[in-house]
Amino acid sequence: MENAEYVFTGWALTGVVLFTYAFRVARRTRRAARSLGRGPEPR
Amino acid sequence: MSDSKGSTAGDGASVAAIESRLLTEGNLRALGVVAVLGLAVLAFLGLSVAPPDRYQGDAQRLMYVHVPTALMGFTAFAVTTAASGLYLWRRTRNPRWDRLAASSAELGVVFTALTLGLGMLWGKPVWGEFWTWHARLVTTAVLLFLYLGYLALRRMIADPGTRARRSALAAIVAFADVPVVYFSVDWWRSLHQKGTLVNGGRFDPQIHGTMLLALMWGFGAMGVAYAYLLARRFLLAAMEEGIEERMLDAAIAERLAEAELEQAAAFKATEVV
Repeated sequence: MENAEYVFTGWALTGVVLFTYAFRVARRTRRAARSLGRGPEPR
Repeated sequence: MSDSKGSTAGDGASVAAIESRLLTEGNLRALGVVAVLGLAVLAFLGLSVAPPDRYQGDAQRLMYVHVPTALMGFTAFAVTTAASGLYLWRRTRNPRWDRLAASSAELGVVFTALTLGLGMLWGKPVWGEFWTWHARLVTTAVLLFLYLGYLALRRMIADPGTRARRSALAAIVAFADVPVVYFSVDWWRSLHQKGTLVNGGRFDPQIHGTMLLALMWGFGAMGVAYAYLLARRFLLAAMEEGIEERMLDAAIAERLAEAELEQAAAFKATEVV
């Protein structure tokens, strides 16, 4: 594949950014649920 | 803080009912699985099934993520603007709209930053430069900074009502840049290519077969990913507001207890005298 370094960097960047964001939100949700003394269900 | 504060009773109750029915842990998990599978299929279509472009070669494979992330950025900011408008409109004023606006703006910033990063990675092999000062690139960078400013503004104001009002106005003003970004390739001469799917206001794809399939799948997969992340971020915002409210209540209770002690001490001192 031509320009493979750019293509794979771009796709990897997309995956890393989206999954990192999802994991950060999940971690903050768990922490918030602990502070409120309940599970992560909506109010 | 009451969620129906400042809104008509029916409006607050109906929004809460929809929210509690849709945003269950089971639904969100299912949406998350669909998003991951959708992105995995997109990677397969974009990196393996679609052929290389005649002129751009394999660098064009970046378009299957670049274009959908750009569209999701626009969608996220449109949701922020609509929610901000609903918050400002007296009949629907409800903290949920402010929460939705803030959550979607954060996602819009993530998708727009990703769009710029992917565009730069595509620009180097195709244009020979990571960055050029052309209209589409500059207006997109301006859009990113406008919404970073919106998020910064939200952190600067402590009072929830004032924060919601001022940031709603800021979000509506910032959205004015979205059509400028979209039409920049028509309004100014630019290195950036014109629309691949929509030209002159009608659907007229310049790509076909598996290339078109990969791009359309990309819109769907990124759309589901956006919906999943928005729902999770929205629920987190509600929980963090609850914590903020508890901390405020605790601080008020502590201050009241201190005031009572001070009053008792002052009363004792008067009795001694």
